[in-house]
Amino acid sequence: MNTGEATREVFWNISHGWIMYVLLLPTMAIAAYGIWRRFRSWRRGLPVAGRLDRPGERLLHLWNHALLQRHTMRERYSGIFHAMIFWGFITLTIATTVVMLDHDFGLPIMRGRFYLYFQSFFVDLLGLLALIGVAMAGFRRWKTKPVKLVYSDEASWILILAAVILATGFFLEGWRIVVTADPWGTWSPVGYATGFLSAKFFSLDTLTALHRWCWWFHLILVFGFLAWAPFTKMLHPLTSALNIYAANLQPAGASLKTVDFEKAENFGVNRLDQFTWKDLLDLDACTECGRCTEACPAHAVGKSLSPRDIILDLRDTLHRKGGRNEPDTGLIGSTDALRPERLFECTSCAACVDACPVSIEQLPKIVDMRRHKVMEEADFPETMQQAISSLEKRKHPFAGTESSRTDWMRELNLPHASEAQDAEVLVWAGCGTSLVKRNQKSIRSLAELLKKAGVKFAVLGRDEKCSGDVARRIGNEFLFESLAKENIETLKKFNVRRVITSCPHCFNTFRNEYPQLGAPFETFHHSQFLGELIKAGRLKITAASERRIAFHDPCYLSRHNGVTEEPRALLQNTSRNSMRELPRNRRNSFCCGGGGGMSFVDEPPDKRVNRERAEEILATDADTLAVGCPFCTTMMEDGINAAKGDRGIEVKELAELLNEATSGPNPI
Amino acid sequence: MNILVCLKQILDPEVPARDFSLARSHLQADPTCADLVTNIFCENALETALQLRDRHGGRISILSLGPASVEDTLRKGLAMQADAAFMILNDTGHLPDSAATAKALAAAIGKLDRLDLILTGHESGDWGAGQTGGLLAEELGLPFIAFVDEIEETGPDRLILRQQNDSGWQKFSAPMPVVASITNSDHNLPRIPKIRDIILANRKPITSWSLGDLELSPDLFLPEHLLVRVTELTIPQAKGDCAFIEGATKEEKIGKLAEKIAAIARSI
Repeated sequence: MNTGEATREVFWNISHGWIMYVLLLPTMAIAAYGIWRRFRSWRRGLPVAGRLDRPGERLLHLWNHALLQRHTMRERYSGIFHAMIFWGFITLTIATTVVMLDHDFGLPIMRGRFYLYFQSFFVDLLGLLALIGVAMAGFRRWKTKPVKLVYSDEASWILILAAVILATGFFLEGWRIVVTADPWGTWSPVGYATGFLSAKFFSLDTLTALHRWCWWFHLILVFGFLAWAPFTKMLHPLTSALNIYAANLQPAGASLKTVDFEKAENFGVNRLDQFTWKDLLDLDACTECGRCTEACPAHAVGKSLSPRDIILDLRDTLHRKGGRNEPDTGLIGSTDALRPERLFECTSCAACVDACPVSIEQLPKIVDMRRHKVMEEADFPETMQQAISSLEKRKHPFAGTESSRTDWMRELNLPHASEAQDAEVLVWAGCGTSLVKRNQKSIRSLAELLKKAGVKFAVLGRDEKCSGDVARRIGNEFLFESLAKENIETLKKFNVRRVITSCPHCFNTFRNEYPQLGAPFETFHHSQFLGELIKAGRLKITAASERRIAFHDPCYLSRHNGVTEEPRALLQNTSRNSMRELPRNRRNSFCCGGGGGMSFVDEPPDKRVNRERAEEILATDADTLAVGCPFCTTMMEDGINAAKGDRGIEVKELAELLNEATSGPNPI
Repeated sequence: MNILVCLKQILDPEVPARDFSLARSHLQADPTCADLVTNIFCENALETALQLRDRHGGRISILSLGPASVEDTLRKGLAMQADAAFMILNDTGHLPDSAATAKALAAAIGKLDRLDLILTGHESGDWGAGQTGGLLAEELGLPFIAFVDEIEETGPDRLILRQQNDSGWQKFSAPMPVVASITNSDHNLPRIPKIRDIILANRKPITSWSLGDLELSPDLFLPEHLLVRVTELTIPQAKGDCAFIEGATKEEKIGKLAEKIAAIARSI
C-alpha cells in the first residue's frame, strides 16, 4: 500500500450532513452570547495600567503556564491529569480543524503521512490520554475527594460529558474502521481495538446503524458542550488564558494599588465596580481548583478564611448582577466567605497568589476590602486599631514598647545619615527590629558585621519612622502614604540612595512600593548585602559552627520578592554541617503568622500559624532555625517555645549566625 | 445640646524611659524628646460627647490651649466629628498652671454661644494635676462633677452624671450648664476616625485667639504670676542589683533567698 494515498472518508455513513452546519449556527450564537456577557461584566471594572504592556513577556508567560502547564504541574497528580485532558482536547480540536480545512475548504491536507502520523496515530493517542485524564479526575472527585475541591453538579457533569464525548469518539472511529475494513485502521490503535472488540459482539450491519446514531449523539454532545461551556467554569480555557496573559509581571510584593486621595470617591472596595477589570477577570478565570485555600496558612490552622471562597463568592455576585451595582448592598459581609472578620485573618503571605495556576490575585482583593472597612468605616479588630493608633501617634506599631529606636545602637558609635556624607549605604533598622528587645541583638550583629567588613554606613536613629507596611496591609493606605512620604523626604534630605534592611517587610516596601510613590532606592535585604561582602572577601568565615541549620523563608522575601538562594548561600557558609530543608521551603514556605498586621492580634492558641510551622520544624533534625525577618523571629520563638516537647531549637537571625562565624579586616 | 470639650496636647506618656529627658531649665520635659499626642482622658471626654450627640443630637465644639502644634490635636478632634474647633494660641513659651489655664479657657468660653455641658479630661498624662476642670467651673460659676464616666440626658435641662469612685460609682443629677471631668471606662474608648473625615478635617477652619483677643494680659502665663510654680524636676534613677544565691540544695537556696528578702524588707 502506498502511504501517500492514506486518508479516510469524511461523513462516511452520514446523510443530511448539512444539518450539522445548521446546528453550528445556534451553538456558536449561544456560546458567543455567554462570552459576551462575561466580557461585558469585566468592562464594568476600573481601568488599570500595566496589564497589557510588554507583550513579549506576556506571550512567554502564556506559553509557559497555559500551553506548557508549568504552574499547574506544580501539583503532581492533578497537574498530570489536567495536562492530559488539556493537551488531549487541544489535539482533538486541531484534528477537527484539519478535517474542516480538508473537507469544507478543499485543502487536501488530511492525506498521506500527515494523516497517518498525526491525524490517526497521534490524535488517537492523545484522545486516549485525555480519557485517562478524565478518569483520573473522576477518581479524585468521586473517590479520594480532597476537601479543597468544590463539589458541584456542574463540575460532575463537565467530567461526565467529557468522558462520553471522548468515548463516543472512539466508538465512531472504531466502528468506521471495522465496517469499512479501513486499510490504515491500525494507525489508530485505540479506535482499531474498539472496532475489533465491537465486531465480536455485534454484526457489521448493527455497527453501521449504531454508528449513524452515535454520530449524531456525539455531535449533539459536542455542540451542547460548546454552547454550555461559557456559562460554566469550562469557560476557563479562555478566561484563564486571558488572565495569565494579563498577569502581574511585577513581584507579588508590588501588587497593591495606590490610592489618589485627592480624587478617589471611594477608599477600598465594597462594590464590584470599585474593582479593576483585571480583578473581575480574575473571578471568571477561577477553575475552582482550591489550591489557594489549601495553601492558606490561616485556613490550615482552622481559621475560616478561604481565598477560594472569596473569589467564588465574588464571582457568583458578579454573575448574578452582571457587574451592575446595587449601592445599598455592599460586598463585604454579603456572604459567609466575605465576612469582615475573615478578611482580617489574612497574614498577607501571598501563598494563595503563588499557588494559583491561572494568575489570580486574591491578596490585593482582600486588602482592597480591608481598605474599605478601615478607611470608610473605621471598623476593624481592636488589636489592629491599637497598632494603627500607635502608628499615627508614634510612627511605629508597637504600642507600649519600652524600647527606643536608638537602643540597639548604644555604644556602637554609628554615624547618623546627616553627618555621614561618605556612607556607602544606609542601614534601615525597621520598627520590628529596633523596638523589640529580642531583635536588637540581630541588628547589632548586622552592624558589627558591616564594621568588620569595613563598610561605611549610616543610620537614621530617631528620624526613622515605620516604613508603612503594617498600615498598608491592615488596609490604612492613607497612613501608609503619609509614613512613606515622611520617610522618603527624610531619605532625600540626607541623599540616601542605597538601603540595607534586615526586615523583609521594609525591604518589600522600599523595593516595590516607594517607587510607586516616585522614590526608587537600591534596596538590599541584609542576606544579599552580606553575601556580596563574603564573595568580595571583605568578610571571612573563620569559625564555622557544627549547627544543623534549617532556614525559614520569610514570605516577604521568598514569595513576595523571589529572594530564596542568597540567605541559603550565606547560612551554608556558617556551618560545617549541611543545611536542612524544611518540607515547605522557598516559594512554598509556610508563613510564621505575623504578616498583614496579624502579629498584633492575640489569637487563640489552637489557631496559631506559628504553632503549625513550629511543629514542622521540630519534626526535622535541625538544631537551629535561621530566620531573616524580625516578625518571624518573634513568631517562631513563641511557636517553638509553645510546641517544643523535650527538644528545643535555637532561633537565630542570620546576621547573628554569620557574626558568630566571621572575622574581617577591621576589629569591632 | 451644646457641648464643649477641652482638649490638651501633651508629650506622649508612653515614651520609652530611655528617650525621656528634661529641658535645660529642669522645669519641664524636653518638648522634643517624644511625640505630641492628645491627652487620653481628653479623648475619652470627646468620645463621651460624641456618644451623647449620637443619642440626642446637638453640637460639639472643641477647644485647646497651647502652642501652634495644638492644631494637630484639634484636627484629630474634627476628624472624630467635632463640629467646630477653637484654639487659644500660647506663643509665650511659658507653661501655665491649672488656674491660669482655667482662666484662659473661661475667657474663650465667654466668646462662644451658650453651652449646656463642658467636659475636660479628669487629668493630663504629663503633669497629672487634675485641677483644670474644677477651676474652670469656678471661673464660670458652674457646678462641677469629677471622675465622670457616663452621662445621660434626662430632660430638657438636666443631666445624670455617673461618677466613678473607689468602691463603685454614684450618680448625680445636675442642671445644665454643668462642667464635668471625664475618666476612662470600657465604653468611652475614643473612636478611630474614618479616613474621609481625616481628609475633610484638614479643610475645616479653626478659630484661633491670642491672649489679647480674649482680653487677657500677655503676662498671664509668666511664672511669677502663677499660683503654682515648678521649682525643680528630676528623673528618678532606676537602680538594678543582681545577686546569685548559692547553695548545695534547693532548700538551702530557698532559705538564703528568704533571709535576703527579709533583710531588704527591714532596710526599707
